[in-house]
Amino acid sequence: MAIFDTFGISGSGLMTHRKWLDAVSDNIANVNTVRRTDEDAFQQRMVVAEAVEYGTGEGGVRVARAEFGNAEGRLVYQPDHPLADDAGYVKYPDIDLGDQMSQMIMAQRGYQANLAVVERATEAYKAALMLGKG
Amino acid sequence: MTFPIGAIPGVGAAIGTGGVAGIDSTAAVTAPGAAGGGDAFSSILATSFDQLAATQAKSDGLAAQAATGDLKDVHDYMIARNEASLATEMVVGIKNAAVSAFTEIMRMPI
Amino acid sequence: MIGEITPAALHASLSGLAQRQRVTADNIANINTPGFLAGRTDFESSLAGALRNGETPQINGGTVARSLEPTNTNGNNVNLDAETLIATETGLRYQLALNALDGKYNSIRTALRTN
Repeated sequence: MAIFDTFGISGSGLMTHRKWLDAVSDNIANVNTVRRTDEDAFQQRMVVAEAVEYGTGEGGVRVARAEFGNAEGRLVYQPDHPLADDAGYVKYPDIDLGDQMSQMIMAQRGYQANLAVVERATEAYKAALMLGKG
Repeated sequence: MTFPIGAIPGVGAAIGTGGVAGIDSTAAVTAPGAAGGGDAFSSILATSFDQLAATQAKSDGLAAQAATGDLKDVHDYMIARNEASLATEMVVGIKNAAVSAFTEIMRMPI
Repeated sequence: MIGEITPAALHASLSGLAQRQRVTADNIANINTPGFLAGRTDFESSLAGALRNGETPQINGGTVARSLEPTNTNGNNVNLDAETLIATETGLRYQLALNALDGKYNSIRTALRTN
């Protein structure tokens, strides 16, 4: 089927939301990744979506780029930690778990919605293929 | 787009006027009282064949697009295919009716 | 009423509904894209106009415009519930038009085959 086609459009929606989910999972997995204070903190990854061929209304979506969050992180006093500096501080990522969870819900909702479009489109195409068979 | 099937009433009328002479240009058989009937029928047959060729070409073109993945709407191809098949049936129907009418006449005792 | 609709009008309706299905898919794919305004299609106006004037309708899928409904903080105004309803309705109307066209083909075939 042509590139301007429902499966391609919804497929791009599925891929983009999948990449968003991957980034969020990665952020959540690293929420407690400790670094030394003289290093950058683990930066949260955010995907930036942009419409493809916006004018046609049939281009779909793609991940334009990834953006990274704050590298400064937050300093926590943990003198017993092996990575602690002389003052006893370590660096935690600047990632808010609540924010990541709500992003995960939005990404999943978007993914499911695109999946439903694919199912409906399949029904429509199948019905069209039966045209003339009585 | 023109839908050749709209000509069905015309076909029935043409066969009714007995323009059998259109089939065989050298035949001396002409239905009585249908002096211009032969030309009308042959032109109807010719037009039907032209339209048939056009619908089949359109259907083939869209099938090629579907094969290469360039087809925008699957229903475009399905509609063209159905129109081509109906046009074919119509032309075959005309031919069969004309041939059987001709055979009838040839069987008539002189 | 369906008996009065020509195959060309049904074809125009199918193409318009297929385009609406694609634009709705595009809206749903872009449900989280910043600055994205939902697309809206219209083929009914030109189809109704052509039928009123007794002209053969054009088969081109219709026009696409951007919805000017209020956006969220992201500049995005896609409403998933609205799009889901539109997608469902469009799918059903598409199948209805296919059904009507199929009925027309059947009655022509029957007329061709019975002597």
